[in-house]
Amino acid sequence: MRRAIAFAALAAALAACAPSVPGSSGSSGSSSSQAPASADRLTIGTTADVVNFNPLVGNSRTDSWVTNLMYPHLTQMDATGKRVPYLATEWSYSEDGKTATAKLRDDMKWSDGKPVTADDVVFSVSAVQKEKFGVVAGLITALDKAEAVSPTEVRFNLTRPDGTFLDNVGFWLPIVPKHVFEKAPSVQKFANDANWVSAGPFKLTKVERGQRYIMERVDDFGPGTPAVKEVVFRVFPDVNTEVLALRNGEIDVIGNVLPPATATDLKNDTSVKLQEIPSLGWAHLQYNTKRKPMDDVRVRQALAHAVDYEAIRNIALKGFAKSSNSSVLTPSLPQWTDPAAKEYAFDPEQSKKLLTEAGVANLSLNMIYDQADPNIARWAPMVRDSAKKAGITIKLQGLERNTYLDKTAKRDFDIYAGSWAVMDNPPANLGLAFKSGGFINYAQVSDPKLDDLIDKAQQSLTVEDAKAPIQEAARLISDQVYDNVLYVETFNVAHSAKWTGFQPMPSELLSILNPLSLASAKPAGS
Amino acid sequence: MRFIGLRLARGLLTLWFAVTVTFFLVRLLPGDPVLAVADPNMTEELRLKLLADFGLDRPLGVQYIDYLGQLLQGNLGMSFRQSIPVTTVLMDRLPWTLILTASAMVVTILLGIPLGVLAATKAKGWVDRVIQLTGVTAQSLFVPSVGIFLMYVMGVWLGWFPIGGAVDLDATGFAATLSMLHHLVLPCLSLVLIQLGGYVLTMRTTLIDALGEDYVSLAKSKGVRPGTVVWKHALRNALLPTTTIAGLQLGTLVGGAVLTETIYAYPGIGRAIYEAVGQLDFPVLQGAFVLLAAAVVVANLITDVAYGILDPRVRTS
Repeated sequence: MRRAIAFAALAAALAACAPSVPGSSGSSGSSSSQAPASADRLTIGTTADVVNFNPLVGNSRTDSWVTNLMYPHLTQMDATGKRVPYLATEWSYSEDGKTATAKLRDDMKWSDGKPVTADDVVFSVSAVQKEKFGVVAGLITALDKAEAVSPTEVRFNLTRPDGTFLDNVGFWLPIVPKHVFEKAPSVQKFANDANWVSAGPFKLTKVERGQRYIMERVDDFGPGTPAVKEVVFRVFPDVNTEVLALRNGEIDVIGNVLPPATATDLKNDTSVKLQEIPSLGWAHLQYNTKRKPMDDVRVRQALAHAVDYEAIRNIALKGFAKSSNSSVLTPSLPQWTDPAAKEYAFDPEQSKKLLTEAGVANLSLNMIYDQADPNIARWAPMVRDSAKKAGITIKLQGLERNTYLDKTAKRDFDIYAGSWAVMDNPPANLGLAFKSGGFINYAQVSDPKLDDLIDKAQQSLTVEDAKAPIQEAARLISDQVYDNVLYVETFNVAHSAKWTGFQPMPSELLSILNPLSLASAKPAGS
Repeated sequence: MRFIGLRLARGLLTLWFAVTVTFFLVRLLPGDPVLAVADPNMTEELRLKLLADFGLDRPLGVQYIDYLGQLLQGNLGMSFRQSIPVTTVLMDRLPWTLILTASAMVVTILLGIPLGVLAATKAKGWVDRVIQLTGVTAQSLFVPSVGIFLMYVMGVWLGWFPIGGAVDLDATGFAATLSMLHHLVLPCLSLVLIQLGGYVLTMRTTLIDALGEDYVSLAKSKGVRPGTVVWKHALRNALLPTTTIAGLQLGTLVGGAVLTETIYAYPGIGRAIYEAVGQLDFPVLQGAFVLLAAAVVVANLITDVAYGILDPRVRTS
């Protein structure tokens, strides 16, 4: 906790130290690569438009990047995935775990001058609870009622002890202005596409759909005045053109994560700085446990021994990946990891032995993946080739994205190859992914012992208490190969060397584009 | 009058057909709009609720009748993803697509007709051969290849033109117009290149035919200057099939615009379609297709009518 607060303080201090910019309206234009950066404008490249300006609904990357700058969350995350203060200064559970409380800072204001209060938090969470929509709805099933104790204190009454509640709500729930959103007949259907009332470090001032989104600094932003006067998100055809634009000095930051090959290319370019961002998700293979012969754990273990993990990380990912030791508790969240976890060895002989024990010969399976995912498209053939050495035939089915999602949802595959983007809280995530009937339980795991362990972890109110059951659950998942974790990607994001002061946070969602990071970004050498 | 009425009826039938095909086609796409944005925190209950919110839980027939009913009232529905009317989504984008396609069409005609005339008057000479060969090659080009090629050569290597967008942020007034034209060059050129061949070759063939007609020989024997014979006498008649081509090519042009806008991140309807496909935003897809189909139908109708006025034989056939 102390570390967390120190981090937030650091961000604020950095922001406060930055020189203030005279309020002239002179525009800098796109600077050439020689000219020093000015604090007038930071241009960020993205490959997609904002789809929905309602932060409670929005779900594309660009949506999150833009709306995160406009609507505060109760908490942020530090580099290790720990929650750190943002709108909330402190938070806790009651003894019995059935009440959660968050205290709010009192210096945040909506752009129309009204203060951000507990009422706004209560309204935001209640709207989602009532209308059931967006990312948050599935995370607050334990919520009975939220209420404002005072303008700076919110109490959440829960129907059952849920130690994941504050982490989930703190991180995922954007706080929207009650006095604006309550006028809409349906909060879910409120487009929020003009006259924005926001409370982040920047406010949206102009939208040119298909081209750019222009945001202006908020001078009295609670955690500290941003150094940069204007942030512009510009839409590009793809990452390659973004790289060219960065090199030409047309943009200052590439929002999207760089493909490993591009990152390698950019490493030697002195005009560009790469920042490594840990992923909160992982790439994996899942074996359909409801299909024969994969219902036999020996067959799944044989498959796990038939993957050359090191080669995938070093060749397909060009080294921008970490081993997770075959555990769903990844190194990105160090407070959860299990030091005893050990990766399955690539051992085709062992695979053959296990298959013989299971009485399986000539094993032939299909493997589905999203062909547009450049990383998976690179390693899918490697999975096929290494399996061949163990006498296993894997037929690759690279599919168009929506077809892939459809097959996944219908559990219509032998092997699923994919990756999860943001798994920020193991007790909550493992519940959705591995408990019987879970929405993303693609492998169709149904193991009462695992269900119990996950439940126990979810009811624990501290990481310390949740750690033992969740680590046991993770061991079970690994031993039973309910999930075969291949690696945790190290994301690379690039910005111009003319800028400094970014605060990287885990995941592509936060990256260096999180509000505290952009609030503290400033021209290098200033 | 009856002629126009008939064509109008045929246009409406075509439009209805396009609407129907689009309606069912988008629903035949694998996956559903909820899955397209599903995140790990979703539950089955939420998925079903969202499907119901989109009206996709109703039988297909009911959805179809409802959609047609709304369409007749000019209502294209609400975007699944953006929570705003489809009309707003499209109107935001339409001007850019109009600028792109119209400029491509004008440039194509302005280049295509003289080139066709040149080839026809120099028939069998080397100029003609070069034009023919280039025309055939250009006709078989695929617009994304042309687009990417032009972008990398002129945008990236030479750095002459901007990549992506339609106008610079800081440009105002006349500078904004210049910036707009600057951004327009590459997308427009891509479209011109794939279309030009058709015009040139048609123009060439019909003009050669026309130049062999009796009235041309008569004009020549009367002592009319060769230039006047070509431009005033033969060309007028040779233009008729070219008018048809212009109408027909509009379909190609619109299709090409979708791809071109995607490649150049040009903020038109094509880019909106591309994004809507990824998100399975059915109402936007349907709306965009209806709009484009209507544009093509109307253009063909105008061509037909114009043709009828130019050539009375068509009206009675």
